[in-house]
Amino acid sequence: MTTTLTPDIIALLDDDTTRKVLATVDADDVPHVVEKRSLHHGGDGTIHYLELLETSTTNRNLVRSIWFGGKVAISLSGGDGRSVQIKGRPVKIHITGPLYLRHYERIRALLGDVDLAGVWVIEPDQVIDQSFAARKSREETLHPDFIHLDRLAIQEDVLP
Amino acid sequence: MVALLKEKFRAEPSFDEVVANHSRFPRLIARKIDVQRRGVHYTERATAALDPESHQLRSPYIFGSRDGEIKPLPESLLLADGTTILVDPTPLAQDPYVVDHRDDRFLLIDDDREVEEVALWPKPAYYGKLTSSGLPMSHIVSARPQRLNIFQSSFCYFWADKQGCQFCDIVTHTKQQREQLGVPNRLRPQDVKETIAEAIKERGRFTSMCLTAGSVIKGNEPFDLEVDFYIELLQAIGENFKTKKFPSQLIASAFNEKQLGRLYEQTGLTSYTSDLEVLNEDLFNWICPGKAKHVGYQGWKDRLVRAVDIFGRGNVGTGLVGGVELARPNGFKSEADALASTLGEADWLAQRGVTTVYIVWVPRPGSAFKDQRAPSLDYYIRLAQGLQDIRASHGLKVDFDDYRRCGNHPDSDLARLQ
Repeated sequence: MTTTLTPDIIALLDDDTTRKVLATVDADDVPHVVEKRSLHHGGDGTIHYLELLETSTTNRNLVRSIWFGGKVAISLSGGDGRSVQIKGRPVKIHITGPLYLRHYERIRALLGDVDLAGVWVIEPDQVIDQSFAARKSREETLHPDFIHLDRLAIQEDVLP
Repeated sequence: MVALLKEKFRAEPSFDEVVANHSRFPRLIARKIDVQRRGVHYTERATAALDPESHQLRSPYIFGSRDGEIKPLPESLLLADGTTILVDPTPLAQDPYVVDHRDDRFLLIDDDREVEEVALWPKPAYYGKLTSSGLPMSHIVSARPQRLNIFQSSFCYFWADKQGCQFCDIVTHTKQQREQLGVPNRLRPQDVKETIAEAIKERGRFTSMCLTAGSVIKGNEPFDLEVDFYIELLQAIGENFKTKKFPSQLIASAFNEKQLGRLYEQTGLTSYTSDLEVLNEDLFNWICPGKAKHVGYQGWKDRLVRAVDIFGRGNVGTGLVGGVELARPNGFKSEADALASTLGEADWLAQRGVTTVYIVWVPRPGSAFKDQRAPSLDYYIRLAQGLQDIRASHGLKVDFDDYRRCGNHPDSDLARLQ
């Protein structure tokens, strides 16, 4: 089920100007959607997310997901208009060890006196091009009937 | 021979069959329980893949292991969700899980199936260093992934009167560690202070510390000397911190209010745990004769409740050796009765601000209960869920004893969702 992140997606993920949003679901299926600037490529095809607060809703939802097989969604919006959605699953959290310690140092250098609850590893299952042009083209190809007739009508003001 | 014994040890429903009945219980926590219940055996491939420079190998501990040996094997394991499995090497004849190393990964194997990838605990930076008195720091303070363990003394005075707890091997193991490793009987505050100072230089590694030891009944009032030891130690440790209080847990005897007040006022201690071990008065009297003689079951509970007035709700706990309530011949005859009784008592404590956690009972060779068998996985799942549900229903935190600060209680692992 795991999908491969292409170099352009990885570049979008690692671009500091990209708007990155993580969506998780709680025990009552209520979505929780939050901008998470720490989302980045893990270097091995996975996505890493730094969780700063043990008791955050996102963290609890991720724990629930890894325990019960839940999924997450990530939205990436680039400055150049590119928009991508990644569906995936949390498969691991680093709460200790070299990777954790490296991020602990890095996040404190960046944000000051903060803590790090863990580094979540998200395995991507699906990447969807969310740019409007791409989605419009896909829908027009797959569902040609999904169109208002006026859009097909001969426009009187452009009659010869 | 192994095959025959294996049949005997596995005369129970499979892991999958048991967890199928608990769809709302995390499979990873169930796996942790089962691994603790059955133990692990490391293959030659796994031991060959150990790196003493990066993996934490077994360091001094307050209790011994199922195989009764001290070997340079991994201290314990970590699951993908950050759950710790504190588990010790177990003879193959007892049908433990197997830890193997395949394709550059450590794997838990059950019935020749790869069931989980596991990580080994990372070795802390202070291991290998010496105190100014020349002792290895790893002998003074041992590490978990994010906790420091300080075993102030490994002697328990209840054992001197042959009234040690029947599941416990503390003194047997102390002698073994002293003879084989040269671990000191009692820690010097200066050694501990220096070791803590070195340990917390490793940024991002440790979030709390736990002090514990056997009971010391000496003093003007019973346990006065034990309290003195801890105050001296905690004050020395406190010199390393800029705040008066620092995240810490003391697991000790049931102290009276005066003793608890001294501990709280004179040290940086933030939480207090005193283990009842089993939540039933008759079984307590049988299993913990020393505790019963010097404090008594009701007295022990009363002191826990009074500790809440000093340390606050959510900062006082009691530990159970989960499963000893079913020990033969005096224990409960059915798991259902044991569970109902235990959870009822835990609820009484929770109403009064005391949280209850359990560890999986391991009948160790150095204990009086060495020939007994721990109860079923199903029992432990129900016990974990029951204790966590009680905690949640009373709005009790267990921050000081959770998956990260301790890692040895399946019930408090569940508090990650509370």
